Amino acid sequence: MMRGIYAILVLDLKRAWIDRARIIAGLAQPLLYLFVLGSGLGANSQFGGSQYRLYIFPGVIALSLLFTATFAAIVIVFDRQFGFFKAILVAPVPRSAIAFGKIAAGAVQAFAQGVVVLPFAPLAGVHLGILSTVELLAAMLLASAAFSAVGVAVAARFNSTTVFPVVSNALLLPMFFLSGALYPLQGTPHWMQVAAHFDPVAYAVDLMRGAVLGRFFFDPWLSVGALVAVVAAVGWEAVRIFNRGEDDSALGAARFNWRR
Amino acid sequence: MTGPTNTPATGRLAVEVHGLAKNYGQVEALRGIDLSIHEGERFALLGPNGAGKTTLFSILATLRAPTSGFARVLGHDVVKERAAVRRGMSVVFQEPAIEQRLTGRENLLLMGLLFGLPSAQAKRRAAALLDDLGLADSADRPASRLSGGQRRKLELARALVTDPRILFLDEATLGLDVDARRGFWAHVRTLAASGRTVFFTTHYMEEAEVADRIALIDSGRIVALDSPRALKARLGGGVIRLETDDESVARTWLAERGFNPEGSGREIMLLHADPAAVLPDILRSMPTHVRRAEVHEPSLEDVFLKLTGRGLTGEALAGPGGRPGGSRGGSGP
Repeated sequence: MMRGIYAILVLDLKRAWIDRARIIAGLAQPLLYLFVLGSGLGANSQFGGSQYRLYIFPGVIALSLLFTATFAAIVIVFDRQFGFFKAILVAPVPRSAIAFGKIAAGAVQAFAQGVVVLPFAPLAGVHLGILSTVELLAAMLLASAAFSAVGVAVAARFNSTTVFPVVSNALLLPMFFLSGALYPLQGTPHWMQVAAHFDPVAYAVDLMRGAVLGRFFFDPWLSVGALVAVVAAVGWEAVRIFNRGEDDSALGAARFNWRR
Repeated sequence: MTGPTNTPATGRLAVEVHGLAKNYGQVEALRGIDLSIHEGERFALLGPNGAGKTTLFSILATLRAPTSGFARVLGHDVVKERAAVRRGMSVVFQEPAIEQRLTGRENLLLMGLLFGLPSAQAKRRAAALLDDLGLADSADRPASRLSGGQRRKLELARALVTDPRILFLDEATLGLDVDARRGFWAHVRTLAASGRTVFFTTHYMEEAEVADRIALIDSGRIVALDSPRALKARLGGGVIRLETDDESVARTWLAERGFNPEGSGREIMLLHADPAAVLPDILRSMPTHVRRAEVHEPSLEDVFLKLTGRGLTGEALAGPGGRPGGSRGGSGP
């Protein structure tokens, strides 16, 4: 089991390393949010420009983690189109090991992408002490695992490289907008605050923001608990989907598959 | 006609299939397959697209579960004891199953890890296989920069990383030129000689001849199962193929003379115990001009045509055993 997880993890990271230029390209999105959107919106808000950039910095990191983790999961959908995934499926590795390996690989990639954004912190007016850096990194790690689990659980259901990106966008943007990454949840309409309680990204953002600014919207332990619960529940769901593929599909996903 | 025939009396069973059926909704892809394959046998599964080849293959390779009946590979049930089956088998798929951007060596190494080999052992195994298959020189190039034949060999190497007792090959040489195919099968022959069981599907007749036994499958049933020689002997004698100016006149004339013209389209096929003896007379007396005449030993293609009335590789053949069995993940386009 552990060796299976390790093999899948190494395999995916090796493949990701070939595309390491993506990490640089992946910086564009968070920096755009931070310095263009952040400066533009900030200048016109009660925060003032520099204060606003400081405020959204953790949110932008969350954005980076979220999109990288989901993008990493797309690999599953791509592999299905070739025999590559089949070769993995006929290996004597438990399906649960495949699912966990995929989640771990996505989490590592997301975390790495998030870490690359950190050096820009001073430019955003964020000055991190040692303790808050450690807290931030821990929160990022937990968030990466949660986002990657969600990505894998969703990707495992699809075998169409055209459908999955559309669906994931339809999921990602609401999760991001409801998370309070770009504005404080305190001032939002009541329904948005309620919705945020069901959004794992909101807990992740709040935890990271707490690490940077020392202010929390949720109780930090609630956030930690919520993210751990997401990793467990969605991870279990991913394992279930991979296992279900045992019985009737050559490729591991029972739905959207052979009936065309 | 179905059921194992001519099975060697000795040896343990590598594959044991009984009453295997598979439905996809309304479609019956397999309708009761019985089969025994002995260890060390080279066994070919032959049939047109949609005959159920890929479905049977996928069930044996633990990728699908049957609707009813059972199948055992290496003594283990392919559904209940999947993990045990997987430890002893390997599969070469029709589609590429190597990561094209990684080198051959990396691919083999990772596959070794995946199959539970310790890292050092996986490394040694990869190096040995690359040597064996003559890939050592190109082992550190990305797989995408290998030739088609080299890539297929790499697929074979990937499947051999775990030293499987049974090897499943699904149209493994599709799209390769004759030389590359010969090279590939030379390796497979060596493997079989070392006691491994090889179960394969193919579209190429001359590849099927490599097999110790061949199962001809059509519309989800095995219509014949025997050694290539015995299958061809079933037709007796030989085959005459004729191309004439007026095909219907020729057919009528032949039928009147007690021949049994078969085949479809412009080409008429006659089975006869002694084709060389009757051909001169046919050529002399045929009321229409014969443009081309050919006499040859029966081929597997002829056997299949005789048994099912259809060709093996022709189009528009998918019977009710239809698309899902054949086109999904296997012998499709």
